[in-house]
Amino acid sequence: MIGVVIGVFLIVSLMSLSEGVKGAILSQLKMMGKDLIMVFPGEISDLATTFAGGLELSEDDIAAVEKADGVLSTVPMNYKAESMRHEGRVKTLLVNGVSLEEGLDVLKNDFGWKLSSGNWPISAKKEIIVGSAVPVDIFPGMEVGDEVTINGKELEVVGILESVGSKQDDSSVTVDLELFKEITGQTKGAKMIIAKVKPGYNTDDVVENIKENLTDTRKRVRGADTPPFSVLSSEKVAGIVNSILGMIQAAIIGFASIAIIVGGIGIMNTMYMSVHERIKEIGIMKAVGAKNKTITTIFLIESGIFGLFGGAGGIILGLIFAKTIEIYFQFHPFLYLKASVGPGLILFSLVFSFLLGCVAGYLPSRSAAKMNPVEALRYE
Amino acid sequence: MLLINMAEEIIKLENIWKTYLLGEVKLTVLKNVSLAIKRGSFTAIMGPSGSGKSTLLHLIGALDTPSKGNIYIDGQDVSRLSEDNLAQIRGKKIGFVFQQFNLLPNLTALENVMLPMTFQGVPEKQRMERAKELLISLGLEARINHKPNELSGGERQRIAIARSLANNPEVIVADEPTGNLDSATGKKIMEVFIDLHKKEKKTVIVVTHDPNIAGYTEETINIKDGEIVKNGITANKYLWSKNS
Repeated sequence: MIGVVIGVFLIVSLMSLSEGVKGAILSQLKMMGKDLIMVFPGEISDLATTFAGGLELSEDDIAAVEKADGVLSTVPMNYKAESMRHEGRVKTLLVNGVSLEEGLDVLKNDFGWKLSSGNWPISAKKEIIVGSAVPVDIFPGMEVGDEVTINGKELEVVGILESVGSKQDDSSVTVDLELFKEITGQTKGAKMIIAKVKPGYNTDDVVENIKENLTDTRKRVRGADTPPFSVLSSEKVAGIVNSILGMIQAAIIGFASIAIIVGGIGIMNTMYMSVHERIKEIGIMKAVGAKNKTITTIFLIESGIFGLFGGAGGIILGLIFAKTIEIYFQFHPFLYLKASVGPGLILFSLVFSFLLGCVAGYLPSRSAAKMNPVEALRYE
Repeated sequence: MLLINMAEEIIKLENIWKTYLLGEVKLTVLKNVSLAIKRGSFTAIMGPSGSGKSTLLHLIGALDTPSKGNIYIDGQDVSRLSEDNLAQIRGKKIGFVFQQFNLLPNLTALENVMLPMTFQGVPEKQRMERAKELLISLGLEARINHKPNELSGGERQRIAIARSLANNPEVIVADEPTGNLDSATGKKIMEVFIDLHKKEKKTVIVVTHDPNIAGYTEETINIKDGEIVKNGITANKYLWSKNS
């Protein structure tokens, strides 16, 4: 039975958490409109390389995206971890650089950014907006109008954002791209470009246009040795996230299946022992008129209930584990992770473990039913 | 003629052989046994241990099938029936009482008595009423919700008798029913069987090695080494009828 508990525990806890991760990522992606296209350096199939950094989009690339047919506007984005000082305290956080002139509308309309207090920064001024978690977790007590210092540059906090649903984003600060270059010394290029599609254009067509333009530019500038890049619509990104998490979930189900098979064998063993211990009872029941089918049913239900209890135990442990992880993430923010345990998952686990018990109990039940009543009655 | 015969003989054994294979050794427990038991009779099957009397009882009670020969219960040949059909006949026509009581330890007295009716698909309410009725008629009204291990041997055997009567079978088959009881309690249990025979008109068959117990019955079938002893069917002295 312990195997069933572990198996169902794995399924419930890991499935609920990976559902939660999926939910958290997809909800962020959903905020973006369908008319957004993201351009990353590197192959999207090689995510590690892309996010490890190093690869960047050049100024030529930015221009190429801008010129592509069907692109309404482009928002180059960059980010870098920097130390920020506020009232004597120094913390390291992520500084985003966004071209506010073109990008503010995208941030407001497509990323769902809203101010909880203060104003949006003006691109020419040395102004900074901070995520909702910054005045709470990182610099408690920070207010609009405060001064902060990054790399010796003094900046004024002009606005505090409402939460956008990701702890990582909420813990970052954002400045105009020009100011970003000035602070960080990264004067060229961007880590990502967001392009908005002109009304009336098909997003997928525009993706192709951007790819063509980028390839041409890169060939012209660097010859045959064109470094790879990825152009993705927001829908496509959601699809990729979905498929990656799908693979992870499949792996989890694989591991859990092994535990469950072990559990099933455990139940079978227990049932064989139970049949053996109750040989005499089987003889008595047969003597007073129980048919073979009745005996089979009695033992099948019993082993099904065994499985059901194992499953219930697994669900309870899994829920406790998933909730613990959820609470952990509330204190150690990385993602707003919600352990999503739907009634579907619970029902599935219960039905599944009951059926598992029945399957595991089938052979022992048959052996009980086939027992000769006279021999069973004689058994001591 | 046949009808009259059927009415007279509720159980009939014709040239019954029962052989067990113990490894390579063939063990013949019953050798060419023929007998008939009349409807409404009270019969003892007597013999020393190892004589084959329990095997004979199992065959009469449709718990087992013969290696050779035919067994008729209520006119139906049961010697070649499937296990499930035998279970059906046992459930409806035969009530078993054992030396070891053989009650299910996890069930209460009431539930034990209800069990044979459950297997016959009797509705729960009816089952419960019938079981209570039987337990009360055997003087067990205070023990209805007790489990077997809370009861004395005599009480347990009375529950077993109540269980054997649950589906109102015509035949009660008892295997050394007093073997685990002291003589006073044993006497009381035998009186229950006498009542069943006299008042309820049941056919009662008791297997015993004790001549005193056999003395309660109308007739005794003596068996030795798997064979019915010649002229071994003796009429008893109706001890009980004189006493009652």
